[in-house]
Amino acid sequence: MLAPLHSVNTSQPPVTHFPPEHCCLSIDHLSLAYAGKEALRDLTLSIPRHRVTAFIGPSGCGKSTLLRAINRLHDLNEAVSHSGQIVLEGQDIHGPQVNVTELRRRVGMVFQTPNPFPMSIYENVAFGLRLQQRLPKRKRDDIIEWALTSAALWDEVKDRLHRSAWQLSGGQQQRLVIARTLAVKPDVLLLDEPASALDPISTLKIEELIRNLKSELTLVLVTHNMQQAARVSDYTAFLHQGELIEYGPTDQLFTNPRLQRTENYITGRVT
Amino acid sequence: MDITSDTHSQHISRQFNQELEELKTHLMAMGGLVEKQVQDAVFALLEGDTRLAEQVRDNDRQVNALQLQIDDECTRVLARRQPAASDLRLVLAVIRATSDLERIGDEASKIARNALLLSESTSTIRGLVEVRHISEHVRKMLRDALTAFARFDTDLAMQVVREDELVDDEYSSAMRSLMTFMMEDSRSITSVLSIMWVLRALERVGDHADNLAEYVVYLVKGLDIRHSDPDNLDPQGLKKP
Amino acid sequence: MTGVPADTAPSRRRLHWLDGLWPWLCAASVALSLLMLGALLTLLLVRGLGHFWPATLEEVTLRSGETFAGQAVREVALPQQPGDERLYFTGNRDIESVRWRWVAIDDIAMQAQPMDLIRLERSPWDDFIGRLVAIEQHDQRWEGDAAWQQLTSLLALPVSQRPDSQLLLITASGQAVQQPLANVVSAQAPNAMTWRQKTLAWSQSVWRFLSEGPRAANTGGGVWPAIFGTVLMVILMSVIVTPFGVLAAIYLNEIAHQGRLTRFVRIGVRNLAGVPSIVYGVFGLGVFVYGIGGSLDEWFFSETLPSPTFGTGGLLWASLTLALLTLPVVIVATEEGLARIPEAQREGAVALGATRLEMLTRIVLPMAAPAMLTGMILAIARAAGEVAPLMLVGVAKLAPQMPVDGEFPYLHLERKFMHLGYHLFDTAFHGDDVQAAIPLVYATALLLVLIVLVLNLTAIFLRHYLRRQRGSEC
Repeated sequence: MLAPLHSVNTSQPPVTHFPPEHCCLSIDHLSLAYAGKEALRDLTLSIPRHRVTAFIGPSGCGKSTLLRAINRLHDLNEAVSHSGQIVLEGQDIHGPQVNVTELRRRVGMVFQTPNPFPMSIYENVAFGLRLQQRLPKRKRDDIIEWALTSAALWDEVKDRLHRSAWQLSGGQQQRLVIARTLAVKPDVLLLDEPASALDPISTLKIEELIRNLKSELTLVLVTHNMQQAARVSDYTAFLHQGELIEYGPTDQLFTNPRLQRTENYITGRVT
Repeated sequence: MDITSDTHSQHISRQFNQELEELKTHLMAMGGLVEKQVQDAVFALLEGDTRLAEQVRDNDRQVNALQLQIDDECTRVLARRQPAASDLRLVLAVIRATSDLERIGDEASKIARNALLLSESTSTIRGLVEVRHISEHVRKMLRDALTAFARFDTDLAMQVVREDELVDDEYSSAMRSLMTFMMEDSRSITSVLSIMWVLRALERVGDHADNLAEYVVYLVKGLDIRHSDPDNLDPQGLKKP
Repeated sequence: MTGVPADTAPSRRRLHWLDGLWPWLCAASVALSLLMLGALLTLLLVRGLGHFWPATLEEVTLRSGETFAGQAVREVALPQQPGDERLYFTGNRDIESVRWRWVAIDDIAMQAQPMDLIRLERSPWDDFIGRLVAIEQHDQRWEGDAAWQQLTSLLALPVSQRPDSQLLLITASGQAVQQPLANVVSAQAPNAMTWRQKTLAWSQSVWRFLSEGPRAANTGGGVWPAIFGTVLMVILMSVIVTPFGVLAAIYLNEIAHQGRLTRFVRIGVRNLAGVPSIVYGVFGLGVFVYGIGGSLDEWFFSETLPSPTFGTGGLLWASLTLALLTLPVVIVATEEGLARIPEAQREGAVALGATRLEMLTRIVLPMAAPAMLTGMILAIARAAGEVAPLMLVGVAKLAPQMPVDGEFPYLHLERKFMHLGYHLFDTAFHGDDVQAAIPLVYATALLLVLIVLVLNLTAIFLRHYLRRQRGSEC
């Protein structure tokens, strides 16, 4: 059991706050719009370091949008405009001195469908490394082994590192994608419904991996599987229609949420 | 966040609504049966009705069967629905409540057995006044606790919790006076001991009713007030929206 | 199916009459297409390759007493009277001034297939059909069988080493002719040949057809310059069109803002593919040949003016014109390939810290390579078969020089070149003897089909190889 880091705010909306020394990522009055249509509305929350934070909410509530905003993936789309701040380890990620590719190295992202590149397993993990700097082969091999081991995949693929990554099963592919992200040593790992395309056993493996990884980095998980959020996360935020409804320790949110809307959502009631 | 008695009938899954509704209904049925057991046992004791006492003793099996049935239903809901929040609290409260109700049933049959013993005694029985007094009090507590459960009424439940302290006081004073009877008349020791057992059983029923009331608070407010002093409870904590 | 009353079990629903029929309709249309394709290929194969088979020569004596020798070609019904007439190829144009002879079958008194009839392929003039009497070489003389043996051994020598000899020949009608050996290309005595010899002779003729230049105003000889011109032009065209098309597709799909303008451009590109090819020819003539070519001549080749260097049709302008013609195909195919790449792949690369260029070059382009090759295949297929625009921008009936030779700079982009498609057209309609050209037309058409097939297969194989490399064995 991890020691609690938070202080509880009983005001509306019920949002948990973390002292700065525990806060990895803080989102401050973030609003975001797609082609003028509001997707996130005045969101403020902070995400604790070395913990798993889950975003739950119905489809279209903005949880994936929020996740992609942290990686600045919205930069690819000109129709997206935002206001407010996202601060990673004390630095505004939209700041002028921030190099967006460096930011994306620090903030890894894993997507809903496993997306290994059409290359060998080895090359997939090496992809991010090759973008960074030239490493001696020996050192690169070590990092790749470390990443695959951290992603609990090494034993399954060590004999076929140079085979195509597309031959792996869905669950293995997703772990490969996680390994690929880990290889560049990110501070934060964003997971956008990482197990929604996988079978239950693969899902459990991913969940186990998520729990093990939190000693290394900060994890943010978007899921629409509430049991999954309950199983793996330490803190849970409930989003609805682009707004943060409730944010607190997972134990509390799933036994005794403070708001009726949260209760209705997690217990499957008509809202 | 407080919930109300119709909270559990608003799920998107109607089957789930029905399952939770059945849990509550069955629990109330069990509560009704147990309440009647206590009432009958005390009546048999006070009126010396041996047939009724035997019936109470035999009915305990029904109570036990109900407990098994409801526990089984709870297990099924847990396994198949993975309830969260208020649903989870309802299931937990029902599981705990059945255990307490079963114990109350046991106490009722204990009273009935003592009633059968006392019916064989020839001398006048001392202490029946105390039994009547305390039993009325305890039966009201039990009734209120069950009502609070049925209505999700925390105010009523808190009343039961406070009532339990009064019962405990009455029990102590009754015990003191029964001790006096035993010292005065050593021939009455056997029957007075039986009465003491009955009072003890009634006191236990009061404790179980108190537990039931605490589960109501847990169910409705998500607060676990067991092992805490009811007078020190934050009234805001209970009144909070 | 419990609880279903027995009397409702059989379905009362009537089938529409088409329901049973439509799979057959579909199958029939497929079968018809296959049949037509098969018929086309069979026709080309039989008529094209059959032309090279050493045909039996007949010696015919008419009721009038006249005798001639020739190869029976076909028979048709006589107009307005019973009976058939037969067409003979008699050759000997230098002697009898006609090469073809129609004979009513009823007029034939006797026909025979004597072993000693020979057929000489000559240049100039064309085939001689008759008998070999003797060969004279300086003061030596061979007669009869010895003459024939000497002739075959002489013809086996390379042209430059053949001694100066005279052939003494006699036609079936008895006319004697002298023929210098230097004019003889090949000699056959088909009636005396075994199957094996015929097959050998056939393959030699096919090889000569493929490897030699045309003779007798394209009605004889080979098509090698045309094959070479076609392939070279297609390769040049691919080299030009592929990078352009791919870059354009990348811009449209990856870089350009996806707005109304992009959509408009895309529609425009797609419609360009439907513009008649001759229009491209006109464009090429106006812009490339007269515009750019004319200016180049003025700037760099003014000493040779007024005879144009680049200011006339040539290999470069033809390739450019065809590149323009096939550009939409490449753009559309590449764009479709790019659009098929899942967004997740791009995002995956970007999320790892790749810049846009890194994402494009390391993930998107390798994944789209098969689609680009598909575009190239389609472009090649279209370009290899295109004739109309080439007539305006550089194809020649008979190119004096090959576009590649040993002379610096080896590849001569300004030269005119020959093209199979145009050669076919020219042979079929512009020769002085259409009858003789028809088998060549079939052979050339077959060759054109084969070349397109080979080019396509190469590209398909390449694409398959790339896919496999990506898919399983990286």
